[in-house]
Amino acid sequence: MRKLFSLVEKEVKDLLRDPRIYIGLVVPVILMPLLGFLMSTSMGSSIEAGTKSVKIAVLDYDKTSLSKTLLDLSASLGMDVRRIDAADLEAAVSEARNLGSNALLVIRKGFENDLINFRRASVEVYFVMESMSLGSIGAYTAVEGVLGFSSTFFSNMLISKLNPNIPPDVVRDPFNISTRSILKDKIIEVPPQILFNQLLMGYSIMIPLLLLMLSITVVQFAATATAVENEEKTLETLLTFPVTRYDILLAKLLGSSILAVIGSILFTGGFILYFNNMLSMSGFNFPVEDVSHLLPSPPPESFILLAVSLILAILFVTSLGVAIGGLSSDVRMANSLLGVVIVPIMIPSFLMMYGDLGTLPLTLKLLVYALPTSYPIMIAKDMMMTPIPFETLLGIPYSAALTVLVLYATSMLLAPEKLLTVQYRLRLRSIRRRQIKELDD
Amino acid sequence: MMEAGSIVIVRNLVKRFGDLTAVDGVSLRIEEGEVFGLIGPNGAGKTTILRIMATLLLPTSGYVNILGYDAVKEANKIRPFISYLAEDAGTYRNLSGREYLSIVARIYFDSNTEASRAVEEAIRISGLGERVDDKMKTYSKGMKRRLQIARALMTRPRLAILDEPTAGLDVFHAKHIRDVVSRHVKDGGTVVLSSHNMLEVEYLCTRVAFIHRGRVLFEGEPKAIKNKLGVSNLEEAFIEVASR
Repeated sequence: MRKLFSLVEKEVKDLLRDPRIYIGLVVPVILMPLLGFLMSTSMGSSIEAGTKSVKIAVLDYDKTSLSKTLLDLSASLGMDVRRIDAADLEAAVSEARNLGSNALLVIRKGFENDLINFRRASVEVYFVMESMSLGSIGAYTAVEGVLGFSSTFFSNMLISKLNPNIPPDVVRDPFNISTRSILKDKIIEVPPQILFNQLLMGYSIMIPLLLLMLSITVVQFAATATAVENEEKTLETLLTFPVTRYDILLAKLLGSSILAVIGSILFTGGFILYFNNMLSMSGFNFPVEDVSHLLPSPPPESFILLAVSLILAILFVTSLGVAIGGLSSDVRMANSLLGVVIVPIMIPSFLMMYGDLGTLPLTLKLLVYALPTSYPIMIAKDMMMTPIPFETLLGIPYSAALTVLVLYATSMLLAPEKLLTVQYRLRLRSIRRRQIKELDD
Repeated sequence: MMEAGSIVIVRNLVKRFGDLTAVDGVSLRIEEGEVFGLIGPNGAGKTTILRIMATLLLPTSGYVNILGYDAVKEANKIRPFISYLAEDAGTYRNLSGREYLSIVARIYFDSNTEASRAVEEAIRISGLGERVDDKMKTYSKGMKRRLQIARALMTRPRLAILDEPTAGLDVFHAKHIRDVVSRHVKDGGTVVLSSHNMLEVEYLCTRVAFIHRGRVLFEGEPKAIKNKLGVSNLEEAFIEVASR
């Protein structure tokens, strides 16, 4: 163990002090909250400016007391209402644009008559699209809000006119619907929408994203740590020390994993701060009830399964990283080769983030099941909602077998003869290719 | 089993890389307490022979015995007793010299006292002084080489395998390393080294072997070789033998 700890110490210290590594670790913690702050400030000010002074030009063909009521109501709700007179719609649009209005409201003749005769009254709204900014969206939302409020106001008035003893909201919305959710045979006193909002973010996006980050970070660290040994010509010396190739491999796996876990924690911290900044933006302050305490706890064995699958996934990708680094003459080459590994790791994560595994085509489903990195995501998604499916459970021994195979292959590669011979062959192939290219040129 | 006095026995060693034969039927014997030099031009096969002795490469055929152990079947038993310095051995940029030496010492020694002693010994050998606490990326080439020599010798190996120990160093650093190697042998160690520098080899080595195109052309004590071939130095001797 003394030898292994010494090697792990070397890995962690050398990696942690490498600017290529520590900058990558620290940047998300600083940059992501800053990004969130800047985005929320810019979006907030844009929305505020858009909703503060919403101008509506109104072409009122009806000119009745009820059409006037609609305009007064809009003005009382903060709209800057300007009446215009125009011969036709084209002229009205032109006038509205000249006034700098966000929208043109056309109240057709017969508005009042239709309302008092319990027919739907026509109001046409034309939004002036001058930019795709959040300010425009804010103005649009504000006008929609005012019209919705006015519609409720008029319906209340009409219902009260029919029978003052009937509560208008009962007529408008006669069902008293109370929605609850059933989760693993337990009734939860909240509608599914709230659960979706909270669980979708946590279990379907955050966890896969975090695990994806962990996988990518760990494979990068392992490949970099090993490629640096080649680049700085230290691996050859290391291989002559009285340590087994398993010690060297294990030290690389542990060193890279320790740093990847630190990196993922920092990334998650940065990500949470980014969201906090985004959600603190004015207009996004919805009172959200935290329903997590109402949810049934996942069974303890699911946490064990999650931990086992996560360890296997990390060992699997780290071994791949060590193999890639070992075969690379320098860090740049390792980074180029990493793409071959990172893309397949990313695909299943994204498929599971935004889709349902059961509905995927067979080829994609097989790709997801083929990679040990998929199983922690599957378990994390399933542990809260349903019993963990049998095929996911089968994935644990499968992942273990595949990981052992990859670990063995990587340790074989770290046998001095093998590594130097493979590197020699790769170098020879690259020289030959260059010579052929030069001859062709 | 180790034959009396012989630390290294190489018999009919052949190493091929695909179509290329790097070592072609080399036989050598290195005695305890010797500084044995492999002399030859680039691509002669010196580094390949040293790498096989250092258990980094496997022979295609032939037999190599180090300290009484088969270099193929018993490599793990050999490694605690040897040290290898590669020609282009690098350093861990982000570790200090002391940290690196301490990590290596803890790999070789089970007791902290012995490991600390080895580190202090290495600091003395390297002559780095206070700079040993600086990160190795700040070291000059000479400092890195001195540190690597110190790393190789601090474990008091029974066999030190040094590939071009003074390559690319100025005269002061080269002299320092030659003195360190001589002291190591006086303290009871054995050294096998390769070098382009014939003067260095003549000064350091008790015996040398001329290697050319993967074969040993001539072997013996520097003085005896010069007398036998009637030349004034090893450089002339090598050219004389290689041109036959």
